[in-house]
Amino acid sequence: MVGNGRRIVSGGLKSAAALVGAAALIAAAWTSGTVQEATATVEMTNRLTFTSDSVVIGVGETVEFRNTSALVHTVTGDPSRSSLDASVHLPEGAEPFHSGRMKPGETFSHTFESTGTYRYFCVPHEGAKMHGVVVVRDREDMRE
Amino acid sequence: MIGPTTTRRSLGAIAALVSGAALLSAAGPGPDLTAEHPAEETDAESQERFVGMAPYRGYLEAHAGVEEPPRLAGGPVEMSVSQRSGGVHVALPAQRELDPDVFGTPELPRAFGGTPGINGLPPGGRNASGGQWTTSKSMTPFGDEAVVMGNGRLKLEATDVSAVDAASSEDEVTFRASWEDEAGNTYAVECCQMLATRGVEYPTFGGVVTNHILHGSSRIGTALMPTEFTYLAFWGMGRVLKNGEVQQAPRLVHGMLTEYVRGEGYELTGDAGVTPTRKHFHLMVPPMMPDREEGRFHHSNVETGFTLPNDKPLPFWHVMFGNVDIQSTRGG
Repeated sequence: MVGNGRRIVSGGLKSAAALVGAAALIAAAWTSGTVQEATATVEMTNRLTFTSDSVVIGVGETVEFRNTSALVHTVTGDPSRSSLDASVHLPEGAEPFHSGRMKPGETFSHTFESTGTYRYFCVPHEGAKMHGVVVVRDREDMRE
Repeated sequence: MIGPTTTRRSLGAIAALVSGAALLSAAGPGPDLTAEHPAEETDAESQERFVGMAPYRGYLEAHAGVEEPPRLAGGPVEMSVSQRSGGVHVALPAQRELDPDVFGTPELPRAFGGTPGINGLPPGGRNASGGQWTTSKSMTPFGDEAVVMGNGRLKLEATDVSAVDAASSEDEVTFRASWEDEAGNTYAVECCQMLATRGVEYPTFGGVVTNHILHGSSRIGTALMPTEFTYLAFWGMGRVLKNGEVQQAPRLVHGMLTEYVRGEGYELTGDAGVTPTRKHFHLMVPPMMPDREEGRFHHSNVETGFTLPNDKPLPFWHVMFGNVDIQSTRGG
């Protein structure tokens, strides 16, 4: 977690919570601080970029997004929130995700449950082409 | 707070470009645009000739004496725009790339009339290459260079009642914006002690205008900004503050909520690069002051209180707010 920022988690946590009881899991996660170990970290900058504009992870792994800028950003992989066709691409069957507005210092984690290429963007800076890509592979493929 | 970061090059490099002198004002004379252009005309006389060619002079003359301006069709528009968190982009002096859709070509120039920079740009103030305009010769507030500052706050309440320029107006504006540099200094602009009920070189629609095209080819405001749909804009006289102390008053203050006119790397787009589906708010305190008697603007640096690394003062505020909440009602 960066600074005193709010931490936001989505994706795998939400799916797991549905299986074992949302309230208990979320409470445990927040109190233990062991939500979902991020396997990649992407920072959001004053230059209106995601520092790693393309990261490769295994299925079921988590990316942590850190707003290290002085600006408000979002991490948005939701076609219903985009206004440009090039902003979002999700693999077939993948759930949309959206961080909400992230103030300076806040973080957002998302677990990617489907293989394929995810293209996401920042809502306030969509016009400035603030985009990123996460490529999710089968773990077997990652070992090759 | 996270310190400033230039979007394209270092502050030092930008500072080296800034002479601190004639932003916008060194537009210089233009080439012969008419066969009657006198060969013995001085640079100053040539520039005055272009200032006199501001395209809305006749329109403004027709509206200057209107005592009770007509109201907007459909009734007043009330809008509020706010930003409660996040930083801002503060524009730094830079040359402006000239869009042929707005400025034409050296062979057929457009947008040359009016006070240079705040309205048109005389051909003599433009660089050209290969039969095309390239950039403004002078530094302007409308380039691609910007610095991010933290803790941007914005609160604007505006009512658009009067439809046209007039001697009086029912329009209203309450505006305050602030932001901080990395040293912890707080800069603020407040408006409006007085609304511009009628324009000097271009219309101001009673001081507040809603749902209108501004800038670029509209010739309403500087042509150096792209042609952009504007949900709300105002012009008035306000004041500039630093750390709670008034730096300068009165100053011309212009704010507008528009479609998004920045591209990759935060460059200021041309007309073809505008993103119609996103919005942001611009604050402008230009290095110009209106002269209503002469019907033009004169150069006048803003005492911003912000100093560039070369110890030259930043002579204007052009600040963009990108994390805005917007509310509006019509016909109330």
